[in-house]
Amino acid sequence: MHIEQDSIVTLQLPYREALHLRRTTFRGGDGPRVAVVAGIHGDELEGLYVCHRLAAWLEHLAEVQPQALRGRVDLIPAMNPLGIDTLERFVPVFDADLNRNFPGDAQGLLPQRLAAAAMQALSGAALVIDVHASNIFLREIPQVRINQAFAGTLVPLAQGMNLDLIWLHGAVTVLEATIAHSLNSQGTPCLVVEMGVGMRITPSFTEQLLLGIVNVWRQLGVLSADLTLAPPTHVPLIADDGNVHYLNADRSGLFVPSIEHWMAVRAGERLGSIVSPHHGGVLAEVSSPVDGVLFTLREYPAVYEGSLLARIMATGAA
Amino acid sequence: MTEPTLLQMTAPLREDFAIPYHEFGPAAEPLQVALVAGLHGNELNGIFVLSRLAEYLRRVGDGRQPGQELTGRVIVVPAVNVLGVNTRSRRWPFDKTDINRMFPGYDRGETTQRIANAVFQLTRRAHHRIDIHSSNGDFEEVPQIRLYEPSEDERASAMLFGLPAVIERTTDNVFTSTLGHAWHGTGGENFVIQAGRAGDLQLSHCERLFRALMAFLHHSGIVTGMQLAAEDQDTHYFPLGQTFPLISDYAGLFVSHVQVGAWLQTGDLIGHVYDAFIGELRAELRAPVGGLLSGIRRQPLLYEGDLIARLQTRAPVAGWSAAVTGQEQ
Repeated sequence: MHIEQDSIVTLQLPYREALHLRRTTFRGGDGPRVAVVAGIHGDELEGLYVCHRLAAWLEHLAEVQPQALRGRVDLIPAMNPLGIDTLERFVPVFDADLNRNFPGDAQGLLPQRLAAAAMQALSGAALVIDVHASNIFLREIPQVRINQAFAGTLVPLAQGMNLDLIWLHGAVTVLEATIAHSLNSQGTPCLVVEMGVGMRITPSFTEQLLLGIVNVWRQLGVLSADLTLAPPTHVPLIADDGNVHYLNADRSGLFVPSIEHWMAVRAGERLGSIVSPHHGGVLAEVSSPVDGVLFTLREYPAVYEGSLLARIMATGAA
Repeated sequence: MTEPTLLQMTAPLREDFAIPYHEFGPAAEPLQVALVAGLHGNELNGIFVLSRLAEYLRRVGDGRQPGQELTGRVIVVPAVNVLGVNTRSRRWPFDKTDINRMFPGYDRGETTQRIANAVFQLTRRAHHRIDIHSSNGDFEEVPQIRLYEPSEDERASAMLFGLPAVIERTTDNVFTSTLGHAWHGTGGENFVIQAGRAGDLQLSHCERLFRALMAFLHHSGIVTGMQLAAEDQDTHYFPLGQTFPLISDYAGLFVSHVQVGAWLQTGDLIGHVYDAFIGELRAELRAPVGGLLSGIRRQPLLYEGDLIARLQTRAPVAGWSAAVTGQEQ
């Protein structure tokens, strides 16, 4: 196994410095190539830690069983390096959401150049996993999000990822500018993983995902079939636009949950309340509209009218 | 004076807030024109011009402009992103979403989807709808009308404003969530105006824009009895294929003296790029084609691939691109 680091694109900054889009590559045999990308949004750090854990896992494999890597693994942990270095979700200076700039343009603005370089580097891979960490407002149970248009290819791969939920969503034109849509449209399978919360890492989610990823890699032939791995421990539920319920705040204030994340809830069950810092009363009670499982829960307490508080996947009969 | 509001909302800590607007003209007449600015809180030219236009229309409505009359109703929203104006933020300051990427909106959705829905529902009934923007803080645009897949009526009406340029543009996926795009799907005549640069007022652009809106109200018969000042310079129409973006191959410091609205010849100087550390000249940037300089970079710090300028050419040109790039409108 060979381990090397390089930069897939280098762009000059106005004063002296350069931006490097860094990649770590683990080369084994001539088997399939796979990739994990993260940090498209500079405030989402879960995927950076996933890359660290995968690198540690592969480095250990290189010591104990190097021939078990039959293919090649690319890790691109920080797709938006300036955003991560400056604690900004978007690409600084350009105020651009990098994940709305795909497939990019090698002659375009900096975000488009990053996107184009990533597309070139990832195109043709047997599987790309794009790890997201929600945002600073919402905490997500580990899940895969799949555009219905690509469900046939992606759902079987997602089933093995050891995650709790697969969310099939309808086509949205704006999302056609994402890395996942751009890769899937070209025939490079790309799974979008959402887990945890912005600006934090959740090590238990990372270990859960790590186990899923290495099992899927073995299934794809990136890892040798005789490599012993712990089996997946989680079986995903399937959510879609028909059974996902959104709870948006009716009033502005502070949201205080009274329930744990990823719990079964009953219709009418109290999930939390919205309170005012100006007085001791409660502005609004928040309760579940359905029997189901709470898979998104607000992390950031301040809310405006309309702020998302929770998402529940209904599990009862329609 | 109590003005109508298009949305009222509670806030986490401060007082309840509202997005106010103006409505003028005879109540019995149909809604003719909706004018919107300040979807981005840092685009001040449109906010200033629409507040001044509201002051004028109020005088007309109150009979304080002798001989002038409103024949239809006009709605004016100087700023949608009220909190953004007060905190100098392009985006909705709380969750950092861009209101002009939330259309047509959703009345049960996120905060900015609710705001977008309220703006769309208020304005969709107007026959003429005008959304005014500045570029971002890095770029200055000559006051111009942008048309997206326009109808023949829109092409003709766009010329009534008398602005220096009417430019047809292509739209990309992300721009399917703008107010202009939402309007486009409901018929009528829709105009996106770009004027100047965000974060500041450019008074000459404001004056030009104010005259343009007055001219439109006059020529479309919505305000009668108006005496217009001397005509502005010619308006030029630029179909697809006549927008040439000049892109920088260099990073560094960009320095320029040129003014937007100038007609340049091939080879005319646009600016210089210097190495910001050792001070050496990196590049002399000259107009690769002749045409109207419709926009110029004002931010000196330059990345590879940044837009330096846009030239509107008199004839179709190789290398044209009318796609909206970066954080505009």
